[in-house]
Amino acid sequence: MSCVPVVGIDVGGSNTDAALIICGEVAGTAKVPTDPDSLIHSTAAAFEEALQAAGCVRKPFELHLSTTLSTNAIVEGRGDPTLALAVPGPGMRVEDLGLRFPIQQIAGSIDHRGRVTGPVDMESVHRALRAAADRGVTALSIAGKFSHRNPCHELQIEQAAQAGYPEFTSVTTGHRVSGRSNFPRRLATAYLNASIARQQGVFVEMVEELMLRERGAARGTATAIGKAFLLKANGGTMRLAESARRPIEAILSGPAASTMGALALAANPGANAAVIDIGGTTTDISVLVAGIPVFDRLGAVISGHATLVPALFSRSIGLGGDSEVRAEQSAIRIGPRRAGTPTILGGTALTPTDAATALGLAAIGASHRHLGRAVEALAAFGEPIGLAPMAAAEAIVSAFAAQLAAEIDSAYRQLESAPVYTVSEMLAPRDIRPRSLIGLGAPAPVFVPRAAALMGLSFELLPHHAAANAVGAAASRPTASITLHADTALGTLTIPEAGYSTTVPLKPAFDLKRARAEALSWAGRAAVELGLDAADDASIVEEESFNVVRGFRTVGHIYSIKAQVRPEAQRIGSLCSAMGESTGGTGGR
Amino acid sequence: MQSAAYRVGLVFFPAFDWAISPDHPEREERLLYTRDQIAEEGLLDVEGIQEYRPLIASDADICRAHICVPTVNSVVTQSHRIAAGGSMLAADLVLEGKADRAFALLRPPGHHAMRIVHGSRGFCNVNNEAIMVEHIRSVYGADKRIAIVDTDAHHADGTQDIFYNDPGVLHISLHQDGRTLYPGTGFANERGGPAAYGMTINVPLPPGTGDPGMLYVMDHLVLPILRDWQPDLIVNAAGQDNHYTDPLTSMSFTAQGYARLTKMLAPDIVVLEGGYSIEGALPYVNLGILLALAGMDTSAVREPDWQPEVAAESREVGYAIARTVETLQDMWSARRDADLEAIFGSGRFFHRRREIYYDTDNIAERQTEQIRLCGGACSGWRSIRSEALHAFTGRTVRIGAVIVPRRACAQCRRDAQGEFEQMSADARAGCLDFAYLQDIEGNASAVRS
Repeated sequence: MSCVPVVGIDVGGSNTDAALIICGEVAGTAKVPTDPDSLIHSTAAAFEEALQAAGCVRKPFELHLSTTLSTNAIVEGRGDPTLALAVPGPGMRVEDLGLRFPIQQIAGSIDHRGRVTGPVDMESVHRALRAAADRGVTALSIAGKFSHRNPCHELQIEQAAQAGYPEFTSVTTGHRVSGRSNFPRRLATAYLNASIARQQGVFVEMVEELMLRERGAARGTATAIGKAFLLKANGGTMRLAESARRPIEAILSGPAASTMGALALAANPGANAAVIDIGGTTTDISVLVAGIPVFDRLGAVISGHATLVPALFSRSIGLGGDSEVRAEQSAIRIGPRRAGTPTILGGTALTPTDAATALGLAAIGASHRHLGRAVEALAAFGEPIGLAPMAAAEAIVSAFAAQLAAEIDSAYRQLESAPVYTVSEMLAPRDIRPRSLIGLGAPAPVFVPRAAALMGLSFELLPHHAAANAVGAAASRPTASITLHADTALGTLTIPEAGYSTTVPLKPAFDLKRARAEALSWAGRAAVELGLDAADDASIVEEESFNVVRGFRTVGHIYSIKAQVRPEAQRIGSLCSAMGESTGGTGGR
Repeated sequence: MQSAAYRVGLVFFPAFDWAISPDHPEREERLLYTRDQIAEEGLLDVEGIQEYRPLIASDADICRAHICVPTVNSVVTQSHRIAAGGSMLAADLVLEGKADRAFALLRPPGHHAMRIVHGSRGFCNVNNEAIMVEHIRSVYGADKRIAIVDTDAHHADGTQDIFYNDPGVLHISLHQDGRTLYPGTGFANERGGPAAYGMTINVPLPPGTGDPGMLYVMDHLVLPILRDWQPDLIVNAAGQDNHYTDPLTSMSFTAQGYARLTKMLAPDIVVLEGGYSIEGALPYVNLGILLALAGMDTSAVREPDWQPEVAAESREVGYAIARTVETLQDMWSARRDADLEAIFGSGRFFHRRREIYYDTDNIAERQTEQIRLCGGACSGWRSIRSEALHAFTGRTVRIGAVIVPRRACAQCRRDAQGEFEQMSADARAGCLDFAYLQDIEGNASAVRS
């Protein structure tokens, strides 16, 4: 266990949380409101407060940051103007891809095995680059169909841009963003990455300055910067500096932070469990199988853009402490809309928070001076459906738990219905069903035990739950994944993410065992590039091996291997009683 | 993300760990490049195209369409059960309204598997379309009128056999002329049994038939017949070996042709059959079919080596096709005027003898069959005695089977029961190895000798 202090900061939509971890224990936490116009100020403020709460620990430290910067840039459409070049070749019409940004089509094609079947039209590439550069465009993305099997067209265009068009300061090629199949997603991922890279670069510089300042205060010297990392959507981190090249991987890190927080803090993280993060407006459901977070099958979807960004599976539902409560005939439905501020907190809306507080189940941060009004609201709600105020409150809490249980079940059904392509997987489906629910978020102590009881599961409520996201960010480590595709019949091997292509011989000189070793070593190397200390912790997560038979003769093999240094959370103990938060407990049946 | 005009349920199961044998055309690699193409095109991100995990067909599901000798497990693998179950699921998706159309893109194929199954023939063990049709009629109504249009380059002799005397199923098979290709059957004069005469339609096409010829047959024969018969469901058994790059056939159809055919036919359910040009045809043909089913633009679907000449047909081929179509048009319009007594005799039973060869498993089967000419709404009980010589082992298996059709009359049901008891006695006496009763509306049973 590393004893370098780690400050985890989660910049959320409304609050920025910080947690200081020293020697595997939470030494302090802080919460400041997020300033949407200056995420760096929120970061600095939360950082300062966390250090103060811990009694001003000032030594070399690591900063682990989960921020909405790149997410916001995309969601709010604030990316830089970007020239998106696409080399689609035959197939689905590019006009039908439903992309949310303009693209320039370039003739040229590569087939499913990575063979060039039509040359790239460099003349139109130059025309497009010139025209965009003249308009002042500085970001460029290049993506071709099957470029993950053969990046030569993308590289040819990239070289042309670098050689003749210095205007393009941010260039992203599709094969480098992911080695997985899906041309429209590759196009979108490369485009989004190119469009936010400059802003990410500015942010990186600001954080580095902040780090220098903090270090300088401690040692009176500004020469060395403490290590800084950014959390990714897959629950892993990357070196802050690296994020300027691949900012797209930092989108949607918030839900990942909460899953990683659960892994870091849970009493028994090795079992199958569902992580339930209940907030005011939404509840996020993520899934642990044997203690390993489950990934989204294809990649993150952000603001209508489907991408290839590796992300943890997370289902977000409109169910939270501030959700709307309404009676439909005799049934009570909660959400998906947010009702507004709960009555008990001085608002006018009847919410699950009001019901829970009236029943004495929840100690809401605010005082209970509005309790009377909440009971009145419950009475008004209960009357038409024949329920006394406390019975109505009980019914609302039960309805919330029932809806939550149903949504959890539906999330598992969605995961279980994922297609499989082999007989053995059809016959022996993996058991991913949860043994327990891990709850975090302020309303969790009220609703998670009830949902667990309905599902016949045990439950656990996380300590420091309000800062669990910041703890999750602090506990995460660098991750990387690579995709190796070797086709010995053609003699080719590519690892697109690493920009690596080479030639391979036939069996026995090259076989599955060698392909595996190669994949593991490249995944380890990629993780070291992102800041991991040692390269020896990669594992193979997907593997396919085929005989290539032509004319009743085996002429080679195709190996497709995905290797990964997977997300892992440092275990964080729960000592701090100074936190003033419920430390929860375990229970259930 | 873009959206489809029709919601398409895709049941994709490439069986990446199953092969007849490592170098066989029906091997793990067959749908690899199709998977790569579909994944790379991002088709599964299209709003309205949804992928589903197949079901696993049970013994009962399989035995509605087949008599498996000696047992279901002895002639099918789990892979066959999944391909059949995937086809059933495709039907469920459409009939339960979860999709407007469905595509069972899976292997192994099935259209050469006949009612009685001693082993594998034409790479097929059990018939995916037939199991699906019987599933539909058992779950969603026995009176569903179902048309199967088989566009594989090989005659769908198995499907034809299973629905040979079934008036509820219209079976149209377009294929390369049986004189030039396995299984050597599928001529215009094979028109169905006494209770379903004219409901089997075979369209033998000359080698070299390309897009114009196939689409001419669709336009002038298949679509008019479908408009005339008004099926509740149209099933396309979509073999992809009419493609100009297929190694086993001699046709000149293209991915564009398949896409246009699919648009014209507008099938409710598509089930993959054969097609062994796994790199040059399948990725593009399957893409074309999927886009066409979804009602999306297919104009940019093209094989990398496509040239305008590849689908060209000689003038002779065009004439031959036009003549075949004309003959079949006449046969369809005159089907009710046919003199059934002249064809099937005027006795109580129609008898036929057949020899069936199982190329994949090297089995020679001899069948004698009798069909009760019952008349009216009852299509008549049938009995089949079958003797199969398994050349690899030298073993001969003799069975008897009695088949009670859907909506059999009480008399036929009684007579069938009587015949089954006779066969069971023969089995006990050692004259038969097994006796089977297939009673789709009751329960199938078998007796061992």
